Parts: sequence; C-alpha cells; structure tokens
Amino acid sequence: MSFAISLQNVTKKFNDFVAVDNLNLTVNRGDIYGFLGPNGSGKSTTLRMIMGLISPTTGNISLFGTALSENRSEIMRKVGCIIEKPDFYTYLTAHENLKLFARAHQLHYTESQYQDLYQLVGLYKREQGKVKTFSHGMKQRLGLAQALLHNPEMIILDEPNTGLDPQGIIDLRKLIMQLNAERGMTVLFSSHILTEVQEICNHMIVINKGKTIAQGNVQQLISSESLHVNLEVVDRPRALAFIQQSPWVSKLQQEINKTEQVIHFQMAKDEIPLLVQQLSAHNIDILSIDYRNQLEEYFLKITHS
Amino acid sequence: MKKILLLLLCLGCLNLKADDNAKKLIRELNKKFTLLNDYSADLYMKFNIPGVKMNNMRGKVFFKKPNKFRIRTKGIFFLPKQNPMQNISNMFLDTTAYTTVISGYEMIDNRNCAVINMIPLKSDNELILGKFWVDIANPLILKTQITTKNNGTIETRNFFGDMIQYALPSKIIIEVEMNKMKVPKMMAMDLKKKSTDKPAGNQKEKGSIELNFSSFKINTKIPDQVFTEKDEQ
Amino acid sequence: MKSFIAILNNELYKTMKRPRTYIGFGVIIFICAMLQAAFYHDGKEILSFVTQQLDMVFNVQGNILNGNLICFILLQTLIVQMPLLVALVTGDSVSGETASGTIRFLLTTPASRTKIILAKWLSGLFYTLVLLILLGIMALVVSRLIFGVGDLMAVNSDTLTIIRSDDLTWRWGYAFLIAFLSLGVVASLAQTLSCFIDNSITPIVSVMAIIIIFTIIGMFDLPSFDLIKPFLFTTHMISWKSLFEDPIPVKEIYFSCAVLLAHIILLLSISIYYFKRKDILT
Repeated sequence: MSFAISLQNVTKKFNDFVAVDNLNLTVNRGDIYGFLGPNGSGKSTTLRMIMGLISPTTGNISLFGTALSENRSEIMRKVGCIIEKPDFYTYLTAHENLKLFARAHQLHYTESQYQDLYQLVGLYKREQGKVKTFSHGMKQRLGLAQALLHNPEMIILDEPNTGLDPQGIIDLRKLIMQLNAERGMTVLFSSHILTEVQEICNHMIVINKGKTIAQGNVQQLISSESLHVNLEVVDRPRALAFIQQSPWVSKLQQEINKTEQVIHFQMAKDEIPLLVQQLSAHNIDILSIDYRNQLEEYFLKITHS
Repeated sequence: MKKILLLLLCLGCLNLKADDNAKKLIRELNKKFTLLNDYSADLYMKFNIPGVKMNNMRGKVFFKKPNKFRIRTKGIFFLPKQNPMQNISNMFLDTTAYTTVISGYEMIDNRNCAVINMIPLKSDNELILGKFWVDIANPLILKTQITTKNNGTIETRNFFGDMIQYALPSKIIIEVEMNKMKVPKMMAMDLKKKSTDKPAGNQKEKGSIELNFSSFKINTKIPDQVFTEKDEQ
Repeated sequence: MKSFIAILNNELYKTMKRPRTYIGFGVIIFICAMLQAAFYHDGKEILSFVTQQLDMVFNVQGNILNGNLICFILLQTLIVQMPLLVALVTGDSVSGETASGTIRFLLTTPASRTKIILAKWLSGLFYTLVLLILLGIMALVVSRLIFGVGDLMAVNSDTLTIIRSDDLTWRWGYAFLIAFLSLGVVASLAQTLSCFIDNSITPIVSVMAIIIIFTIIGMFDLPSFDLIKPFLFTTHMISWKSLFEDPIPVKEIYFSCAVLLAHIILLLSISIYYFKRKDILT
C-alpha cells in the first residue's frame, strides 16, 4: 500500500535556523491526519514543503508513491490545499478566481458544477461578489472550494478553522468527515488546538521546534489505558513512603518538581478509584486528582515549554 | 599737376565707358528677359546644407512676371530667403533703381565675363550690393553674388542649356553661408553619440542647393491661382 | 503546451482585470493629447528653437509641423516615461502575488514554475505591446489626422534629417519594433527584480532608479563611462532614432538589438533560475 504522503528525514534550514528537524511522517491513503503543534512549531513549513512551495534542505518527500521533485505536476492534480490562509485576487469575484484555478488545472466545468461546489462550501449566491468584500470566513469557504475544485484525492488544510465562526467550524468538521467517508479523501489537517484534531483525526503527529514529539493513532494516544494522573496530597513525604512500599510504585512517574505537593502516576482510568481508596485508608489526605491522556500530556508540555 | 589732371580725365573717361558697357550688356540681357512672360519646368533639387541631411527631390517650378514664383513639390525643402530666380530679372529690368558699373573682367568656364556691380540708389533697399558676372560674347549671367542687409551673401552659378534665348539657366547652384548647425544633446536625447565637437559659436559653413531644370514650357499663360493654391502633402 | 496556454490566458486575464493596467493607458492618452494640443497652439515657436540657424538663411518650405514630426517628438519624450508604466505592471507580477499571498494559489496548480514565470513574462510583453500600439495610434494615427502627413524633420545630435513621407512607413514599423525591444528589457528587468523582492513597490522603484542612473552615465562623456556605455541597455533604448538617420547605421542598429536581446535573455534566465528555487514564505 502506497502512502498518500511520506516524508523521510526531512530537514529545512533557513540560514542557521532549523525550522524542521529530521522529520519523518507517513500519511496513509484515506486517513484524516492531524498535524498538531503550537504556533511556530514548523507545521506550515512542513505543509509548504509537501506542496512544493519550499524545498527541503535535506530529505525526501513523496506523495502517492512519487517523489515530489520528479513529477510535481501530476501530484498537484491529486492534491488540494489551503496553506496559511486563503488568498485570492481581490479585484476579481469569487467565481472569477475559481475559474482561473480551474483553467490552470485545465478543467472545463459547467456552471451547475460550480454551483454545486458553492453549495457544498456554503458560498451559494455569494460567488459573484468581489473577494475584497469577503470576510475571512467567506474567504476560508472559498479557499475550501478552490481546494476541492479539481476533486483531489487528498486535501491539505493549514489551520482551516482560523477566522471561522462556531457554526463555520462545525460545518467544516462535518464536511471533512463527509469527504473522507464518501469519497475516501485523505485529509492532512494542521492545527494548534488539540480538541480539533482529537475530534476528527484518526492519526496524528505532534511537532515542536521542528521536531517530532509524538506520532501515532489518535485512539491510542488518547486511550484511557495509560493516563497521566496527578495526585495532590497534604503530606507528600508520607504519601510517597506508603507508595514506595505498595504495588503502586510501578505506576509512579519520575518526579518533576519535588517542592510541589503533587505525585505523578501513569495508570489506567479504572485504577484511580482503588488508589484513592487505599490512600484514604492510610489517612493520607488528597487535595485533588486530575488526569490527562498521553496526547494532552504531550501538548501541555509543549505549551509550557 | 597737368599729368595728374590728365590721368584723372582718362580714368573718368574709362569709368564712363565702363558704365556704358554695363548698360549695354544689361540692355542685351533685358531683351532676353522681356521675351519671357512666364515659364514652368520640371525641377530636380540637390541639397548640401551643413547639418541637414535630405534626399534629392523632384518638383515643378512656375514663374510669372513680374515676380510670381513657386516650386510645387511634395515635402519639405529649403530655398534661400533672397531667391535669385525670383528677383534678378526684376533688378535688371528696373534700371532706375540701381547704379550699374563694370568693376572688372573675369574668365568663367573659358568665357570672358564682365563683372557688373549693382548698387541700389535708395538706402532703404534690402540689397547692399549685387555682383553679376555677365558673358560678354553672349550676354548671360553666369554667376551672381548678392549681399543683403538681413540675409548675408548668396552666390549663384548658372549653367545654360536650351533656353539661352530667354536667359534661363538649366542648372543653378546656389551657395549660402550659414552658422554651423547644432542641436543640444539633451534635446536630441542622443546617448550614443559623443559630443566631441566644440560649441558651434559663430563658426560659418557653406551650403549649396543645386537646381536642375528640364522640360521648360515658355509663355503658356500660367493662371495666377497656380501661385496661390495650397501644396499637397 | 495546452497547460502553458491556459496559464498565459490566466495571466492576461489578470493583467486586463487589474485597475493599475489602465493607469498606463490613461497616461499615454493624456500625455499624447496634452502635447498634441501644445504643438497645435505653439508648435511653430517650439520648432523655431531647432531651426533657428536655418531660418536665418532659408525659407523652409512645406509642412514641417506634421503628424510624423509630432509622433517622433512624442516617441522621444515618452520613451523616458514608458518604462515607469511598464514597470508599474511587470514589476508587480511576482512580488505583488508574493505580497498578497496569491503566489501560493498559483504554485499549487499543476503548472511548473518555469511555465508560470514564462507566462508572466509573455503577459508583461503583451501589456507592453498594447501600450506601444496605443502610443502608435495616439502618436502617429491621431497626430497625422490632426497635423497631416508630411516629410519628417528628425532631430539628431548634430543634424536634421529630412525623411520623405513615402519613405517613413517601414521606418516607423521598425522604430516601434526596436522601442518594443527596449521596453521588453524594462519588462524583463522589472520581472526579475520582482522575483527577488517580496513587496510590490520596491521592484518598480528599483527599475526607475536603474534607468535614471544608467541614463545619467550615458549623458556624460567621461572616458571611464565610455567602456560600460555600449553595454547599458539605456544607451540602446533610443536606437529606434537611428532609423531616421541618413544613411541608416545598420550595424549600430543590429548591435543595439543584440544588446537589448541579450539583456532580455539574461534577465529572463535569471528570473527563471531564481524563481524555480525560491522558497515561498508568505
């Protein structure tokens, strides 16, 4: 099975600054792949490299089994994208912009085909407006229309929710799911908001400062089988002494900050009540318990750093 | 003293004789001029004007007494302000306005010519001095030199062909003196040419216009409107 | 080829839809009309400045102030202004799209970067051609209608050359071709700078600065400048005037055309080379 996207040891340097550092990434056909990272983490640079807007300093990029450097034209017929933000010729109407794009793809669409597309992205009856009069949300919808215009096998969306109102975000989420389900379209979706990715992606990668932090199946990453549990106690040394002599010691995580009253564990969700019960039985007072899945934990680390 | 008086008397007699000869030659010339009421001819002009490059051109020339003159051609051409073809016959016919005297004799094209000086009697005349080299054997003006107040000196050489009886030359070469032509480089916008020449100042250069006549038509009663109608472009 | 025509079509469409395209057309019409009006009223006085030495001796016969002379003067005057109008559109061709982000729109289509830059270049040349055709109509056709047809008194550095009206048509044809070649260099230069710079204004200003500097170098007869002058495109931008000399300096004209063509090829090659490797960061 060929991958929709394959990045092997991709590095991008701008003079001395390493924007993407030895990145390996594979997106399977039919995946909705989340690309997560805070602002400035290297997401846009990676997406630009995938779309051929930036050349990697080292490494190989292949789409649909073909190296990007070998047959970019053919690859671009299979990929639609919104990179950074949807920018259009503001002195033209939305319809004129799409026609330009269609011509570049040598597509000969009928007016009704255009109308179907406008309906799909929620721009119906707005297509004759000049783009300069459009709100960011409308431009985003037009960007989506442009990305879908040539019926691609994959779409790459760089923070597509930016500027959309709540209803717009819901509509977009539905649309992505629909395209994936009905057309088997592969989606690479970048965001800096964890919940967005969690909700619609089946695979994901988390990057920060150009480096991979975590990568894998979303279900596994958010699994309740391995949660990060933070337990805040009144008397931390006493609590630790109890834990050191109990089987819970195997769940204990390396302490981050000894001055805190918090003890860190890694355990399944259904083990938490038993731990609480045993601590209470030994008169160890618990102030609070919170837990996060792996993904939340990674993301929190990135955000703090 | 007697000798001096005798010499002066002789010189005076000689001068009177020269004056008579000049008048005689002018009379002979006028006879030819009076035969001519009008003429037209084909014209071929060659220009050699410093600072001006232009091709030779063809046209048609018309003349009608007393001084109607016109060159009909397509395009731009130059004629001296003091047009010898227009004025000379008039000067000769108007014997009362000028003093004429032979100032000497010169050979031109192996022909013995009297040099007749014409000086206007009135001081308001534009002409300062007219010098005419007239063939003595067959009175024809072979060369002229006209000096005017405003337009400097113009020299003309006449060459005769078929129309000797009307004293009409078949070729005229007009020579003029003019200041060296110079167009400011900024105005010409010429970045390729180097302006190595020194400023023109009052540097004088000679230019010439050659007029060749053919197919004369004499006394055909040319209507006046020929001289007033507009040129076609 | 089909894909290239499609891209070219897009570029032409955009050029014709942009409001700034029409600034150039407006300026040409305005300047021509203004100068024609000035020459209609005061043309003879203006001309006497050139012909004063001739006027002292000669009666200049014939219609000097005709459409051909007006066209000659207009072309001579506007060849200085037209680079600005050309650069206004071509200097923005890549940088404008980079600045506005639409370059991403372009570069995520199947068209190769070489095709895109070639299409932009051809579109710039087409605009230049339209500008020149408009100038031809305004300067030659309209001037001939107003001032009539006649021999051309061409003003060169130290001579006036009178060219007969029936010998002018082919000269005008070649003159406009050479003017097109000259402006083609400007368009290519503007586009090349446009590839290097990511905002709209700098390439336009840079083109004008280069033209001004090169023209000043051309104006001064200094030995140190003489070495480089033959290779500056501005030296050859007025080569069209050589067609109105007698005899025509054919070798000089060929040299000028070769220099201009070499500039175009070099600049286009640089822009293709750079654009193919350019990282799109906006």
